[in-house]
Amino acid sequence: MGATGSAVSRVPGADEIQKETGFSSAHIYRLYDRFQVLDKDDNGVLSRRDLQSIGELAVNPLGDRIIDAFFPNGVETIDFRSFVRILAHFRPTEENRQREPNASEPLNSRNSKLKFAFQLYDQDKDGKISRAELLQVLRMMVGVEVTDEQLESIADRTIQEADLDGDGTISFEEFKKSLEKVNIEQKMSIRFLR
Amino acid sequence: MAEYWTIALLGCLSIPYSICASVELSAVKPSVLDGNVSSLPYSQPNHSASSGHHSSEGLSLFVMDYSHVKAPFEIVMWIMLASLAKLGFHLYGRLPAVVPESCLLILVGLLVGGAMYKVWQQPPPVLSTDVFFLFLLPPIVLDAGYFLPIRIFFDNLGSILCYAVLGTFWNVFGIGVSLYGICQVQSFKLSDVSLLQTLLFGSLIAAVDPVAVLSVFEEIHVNEQLHILVFGESLLNDAVTVVLYKLFKAFCKMQVISLEDVLVGISQFFIVGFGGVAVGIFFGLITALTTRFTGKIQVIEPLFVFLYSYLSYLTSEVFHYSGIMAIIACAVTMKQYVEFNISQKSHITVKYFMKMCSSVSETLIFIFLGVSTVRDNHEWSWPFVCFTVFFCLLWRALGVLFLTAILNKLRINTVTFKDQFIIAYGGLRGAICFSLVFLLDDFPRKRLFITSTIVVILFTVFIQGMTIKPLVELLEVKRTGKPTNVSEEIHSRLLDHIVAGIEDISGHWGHHYWKDKFEYYNKKYLKRILVRQNKQSKSSIVHFYEKLEKKHAVESPDSVVLTDLPREQRQLETSPLQLQPGELDTIKSILSHSLHHIRRKNFLTNIYYLGDLSIFHKQAPAYSRHTLQPDVNSDEMKEIQFRRHSCQSRQDNQDNNKLNDTNQIYSGCTRQKQLTRSCTIGPEYKSDQLHPTEATHPADRSIHRGDHPPSWTTDNQQDKPSISFEK
Repeated sequence: MGATGSAVSRVPGADEIQKETGFSSAHIYRLYDRFQVLDKDDNGVLSRRDLQSIGELAVNPLGDRIIDAFFPNGVETIDFRSFVRILAHFRPTEENRQREPNASEPLNSRNSKLKFAFQLYDQDKDGKISRAELLQVLRMMVGVEVTDEQLESIADRTIQEADLDGDGTISFEEFKKSLEKVNIEQKMSIRFLR
Repeated sequence: MAEYWTIALLGCLSIPYSICASVELSAVKPSVLDGNVSSLPYSQPNHSASSGHHSSEGLSLFVMDYSHVKAPFEIVMWIMLASLAKLGFHLYGRLPAVVPESCLLILVGLLVGGAMYKVWQQPPPVLSTDVFFLFLLPPIVLDAGYFLPIRIFFDNLGSILCYAVLGTFWNVFGIGVSLYGICQVQSFKLSDVSLLQTLLFGSLIAAVDPVAVLSVFEEIHVNEQLHILVFGESLLNDAVTVVLYKLFKAFCKMQVISLEDVLVGISQFFIVGFGGVAVGIFFGLITALTTRFTGKIQVIEPLFVFLYSYLSYLTSEVFHYSGIMAIIACAVTMKQYVEFNISQKSHITVKYFMKMCSSVSETLIFIFLGVSTVRDNHEWSWPFVCFTVFFCLLWRALGVLFLTAILNKLRINTVTFKDQFIIAYGGLRGAICFSLVFLLDDFPRKRLFITSTIVVILFTVFIQGMTIKPLVELLEVKRTGKPTNVSEEIHSRLLDHIVAGIEDISGHWGHHYWKDKFEYYNKKYLKRILVRQNKQSKSSIVHFYEKLEKKHAVESPDSVVLTDLPREQRQLETSPLQLQPGELDTIKSILSHSLHHIRRKNFLTNIYYLGDLSIFHKQAPAYSRHTLQPDVNSDEMKEIQFRRHSCQSRQDNQDNNKLNDTNQIYSGCTRQKQLTRSCTIGPEYKSDQLHPTEATHPADRSIHRGDHPPSWTTDNQQDKPSISFEK
């Protein structure tokens, strides 16, 4: 039900994906196309190397971390469903959605988007961004001419501004709070189809 | 101190100029630029006269033969005046911050025009429309088109076209009809102005001018989306303006207007627009093809770029297509291929020369606007002029509001009310309206139109231009990169990177079906024809080198997961490296070119998601008139090497916890803060200071980084001087 056109029926598990992620069938078909383009050895799963072969991603300072986000818990390959599930985080948020009381949080809500960003900092998955993790990411993003001392003071300042309970690390709640003024719904959304 | 010098200099300039001009007053009408070519024949009879005069007296020590060099001399004097005026402003410190440059230039023009009027008792030379459209406008548009931020332009293309086409139509008809209504009021004594004439007037006054918009907006640094909306609109509305102007002008002459004439007019719009774009693309492709073969004579490569783009403009003018759209299409098309084909030095030449020409043109245009204002045949009519200004503002505001309301439903990034206000307020009129109004056929009310056009232009440039900056600050329009606090800045930057990465993974840039197709055909066919061959060959080695560079550039010392992979990959790909020594040279040359390729691509894609990255650096927009980016590629290459050294040395030092080494590396290099843009643009440093540190670590490096063949390192060392000193 809901599948319009025979093209979408070629996509494995299209219905569940649609329900889980909220993508329309046109989106799913488009993403499946992309999945197949990326899947160089045509075995229905993506490996790290497939994602690393994307040229623009390689020059992205956070490219490796983004790729890691696609392979949670150390799995070697992902199927189409997991691929779409990650990309669903970047679907534009719909305003005024009717939320059933016991439905799980949609993948593209503000909270989920922020959680995705948080996990890029938090490599050891302890739910907190430590100073060292913050420094790592900063070093990746910032130019060489910023010295270590300057970087450390930036990191300290960041933690100071965000850390409300004074434990020297940034928890997810604190992270959310520090970004409350930023329009996350717009910033972290991509038009998957024009 | 410096200010007094410039004033004195300007004064000194205008005096000899007036003297020279007055010498000619008796002989030749001082219409310098109304056909400077035609004034050259004048020099012939004068020359013979002076030489005849000369010979009758015998030899004399001091001869003044001004008429011989009159035309070029006067052109140079004007350009000199423009440049010195510009120089003077920037020495004034605080003045450019308050008053936009365009205003100051118009003021200078007014002064010079006034001075000339006093000296000659005649109106000063008027900016001839031919000179403006054929010589002064193309460089500006070429510069705009060449440095157009492609990605964000095409992302917003729908909205831009909407504003440009629909908005201009709305403005034209709105202004035209309402002015006609005003003219019908008996007490204003304007009833001899017909509807067609007001529509004609509306068509030329409604168009937003790219020159004025550029010069004002680049000083206020609004966010890129807003900038590209206003700027893109000002560029693309040329097609509409041209069509409507010519249409109404033709209608004014015709006695009877039938429906089919109107239909022809509408279809003309499409022809003009698409024709211009087609001509531009055609010439862009030809340029790309030509530059493919210029490997042996790199000195004239920039010449081809300029000649072909100018030719595209002229060709489209031949067919009465939109010249602006042609030149933009040409610049956008040829840039992708020409970047690969021309040498680094030619690239720099093209960039600098383009900026210089457009800067001079813009200055000259504004000065002439000022000069031409001083005329004695103005016709003033309070109601007409005031209502023109009022209607221009009103209809623009209404148009923007209305269109944006529709557009916001279709866009992902809504245009906020503040943005809308700036779009409406930033609709500046400029020299294009001015030239168009002079091109009108003579009819009784022409001088009235000229006067009102001048008033509108002066109003928009002065009042709107001066107040837009304080308004932007007052309204807190989203500027490019103003950090509110540190953590927000950093996290926003992180988010930008993430989104860019996800866009790349999901194929966002190519996700539009047609863009996908275009990229595919582009790579498969066009690039093979248009880009020089050796840039594409030896892909496996290039691929390997790219991977090496990228892995080294991104430092991740603690991440265990990642270091496994590169080693594994490199094991697979080191096998192609068993090469003859003789082939090393070819590899080196290929790689130096391909290194360009990566880094340039990097720069282009990084512009829009990095913005101004580091908090410690000022940023300059890509289309800045006043500053040029520091040469990106060599800096980026240095940066890559530097990062590689620093991260490797940091890795070496990490266990021993020796921080003094890294400090030595950092302090040993002379660093200067520059206007930079992204994390991959590095500082100026003397790379020879790096060699000692590098020389001590090659052996360690190979252990840390997996299979790193020692021969590769030595190649790099030899390569380094050629790459890093390449300027």
